[in-house]
Amino acid sequence: MRRPASDIAPGGRSRSRNGMCGPALVIALAAVPLMAVWAMTVGASPIALDTILAALTGFDGSRAHIVVLDVRLPRVLAGLVVGAQLAVAGAIMQAVTGNPLASPGLLGINAGAAFAVVLAIALAGVDATATLIWFAFAGAAGAAICVYAVGSAGRGGATPLKLALAGAVLTAFLASLTTAILLRDQGTLDSVRLWSVGSLAGRPLSVVAAVAPYGLAGLAGALLAARPIMTLSLGSELSRSVGQNLAGWRLACAVLVVLLAGSAVALAGPVGFVGLVVPHMARLLVGPDYRWIIAFSAPLGALLVVGADAALRGLAGIDLPVGITMAAIGAPVFIALARRRAWDLR
Amino acid sequence: MRAGIALPVSLALAMALLTLAWGDAGLAPADILAALRGDPVAGVVVGTLRGPRVAVAILVGACLAVAGTITQAVMRNPLAEPGLLGINGGAGLGVTILIVHLTGPTGHLMPLAGFAGATLAAAAIYGLAWRQGTSAIRLILVGIGIGALTGAAISFLTAFGDVRDVQRAVGWMAGSLYGADWTRFSWLLAWSMPALVATRLLARELDILGFDDDCIQSLGLRLHLMRGILILLCTILAGAAVAAAGPLAFIGLLAPHLARICGDTRHAYRLPLAATWGAILLLAADLGGRLLNLPAGVLTPLIGVPFIGILLWKQRDD
Repeated sequence: MRRPASDIAPGGRSRSRNGMCGPALVIALAAVPLMAVWAMTVGASPIALDTILAALTGFDGSRAHIVVLDVRLPRVLAGLVVGAQLAVAGAIMQAVTGNPLASPGLLGINAGAAFAVVLAIALAGVDATATLIWFAFAGAAGAAICVYAVGSAGRGGATPLKLALAGAVLTAFLASLTTAILLRDQGTLDSVRLWSVGSLAGRPLSVVAAVAPYGLAGLAGALLAARPIMTLSLGSELSRSVGQNLAGWRLACAVLVVLLAGSAVALAGPVGFVGLVVPHMARLLVGPDYRWIIAFSAPLGALLVVGADAALRGLAGIDLPVGITMAAIGAPVFIALARRRAWDLR
Repeated sequence: MRAGIALPVSLALAMALLTLAWGDAGLAPADILAALRGDPVAGVVVGTLRGPRVAVAILVGACLAVAGTITQAVMRNPLAEPGLLGINGGAGLGVTILIVHLTGPTGHLMPLAGFAGATLAAAAIYGLAWRQGTSAIRLILVGIGIGALTGAAISFLTAFGDVRDVQRAVGWMAGSLYGADWTRFSWLLAWSMPALVATRLLARELDILGFDDDCIQSLGLRLHLMRGILILLCTILAGAAVAAAGPLAFIGLLAPHLARICGDTRHAYRLPLAATWGAILLLAADLGGRLLNLPAGVLTPLIGVPFIGILLWKQRDD
């Protein structure tokens, strides 16, 4: 296909690419409800599409309708918000730290939130989700501060490698503290065993409804702040030279990440790799502009989590906690990324 | 230099004596001497219960510390450690597969499975990080990825396995010195001694790895061969330690730092120092674990991480 000369000029490539971004985003957003409805049809007993639609529009109290509304719908909704939140949190972290490996799972933020939740359940006996979510926020914030402080100490500041190692150290530390708590408290062990590997199963609709507002607020904030985040991703010198309040926006981004990751963990436990993989998928689609990466990460993350969770149930017939599914998908991508990009991560 | 060695050695001796003496039946130093002279009761407690436990703790601690020193030199990173880099994960996966999928008594095979898993994980890390040669950064990152994969596989097996099997696997994976005996000690000794000696002989090569790749190759040294041999030694040591006591994180990370604080920069001195610190750390973790009724593997990170935080904070201006 012949292109006009202006499109080949510098900057033209990205302009023509961005012209495709709007329709592509519409397609991605339209795919989300389709995926959600399909995900509700698969499970221990397959439920026909029209039954699902009937249950959603007019509940008649039959067994199939109860399954749809009490089991399938909360699970799919939880998957949608958790996927979108973690993916956007990862995109923000990658933009602000300039670090292709940054993500809530690898940098220990999920582990911090999960540990705070276990602590609240075991020591304070908290079981209301509305209270637990504040513990998750506190844990996520504490972990973010620790990892950044340790990872940015020393020569060269916060390099991707140091941040990833600091995250791994913190995750190991918190995992062992959690083990110590759970070994002494069998009751808590029972109630958090499945949650602690990351799972969407068994969340009542009320819990999803209690957590979702925080996550949706975080998503809205991320979309509103997409432009300054894009400026931050161009590096501190450039963003200062265009008059951006660097410290202020970094703090705002940290708050957004804590909000997004903390509420995702409060809902589904520490699900890893969504925040790592999805922004890279989005970058492959739309190029380096973080305004589009953030906008695409939300639907892509939701599609990935709900799709992987449902596909495994529907095609292979096994009901795996989503945290395991995501690690099995995400870790090979991470290794491929490390192989390809390792020389500029120092 | 002498003073630098004297402190850890005397600390290690004190910890070992304390571990021998403290327990449900307390033993005064006089009783320990009596055991050595053949007193039957004290002889049983010291000779078959606490003696092997102390011996295994010292040797496992030393192995982990030397493996950690190698890792930090090869990866050129003060936060690298075999446990963080997927080797413990591989060992855990080997043991979980053995426990969940084989019926019948498998207790004696557990160390072997752990060792095989650790070796496979290390081979996978080295192979996947190979791209026209190895690089320190790729090794670390691929290690983190392999660690996540083995973790997912372990979660998968424990989610679907029989609860009793899973409990045994989880107990082993916590990492502890329960049930240490002289047979285990002699196995460990046979595995680890050649590797420990070989590492000490390669101390000069470890020093040289501190320079960058181009510099080493321009000296005409065979960098990838050196790296490969050292990673093999590290795997043998870490694998033997995992096989004897389960995965114990952070000793391999912390001991080299403690050795660096109180001594020479040459690995010829640093290796024995680190080994001594490793023994002290594991003895302390085991003692603390017995006090709190927790496995030692739960305590090593609790001791290790705050230390690491302080160390990194102090070194931030270097």
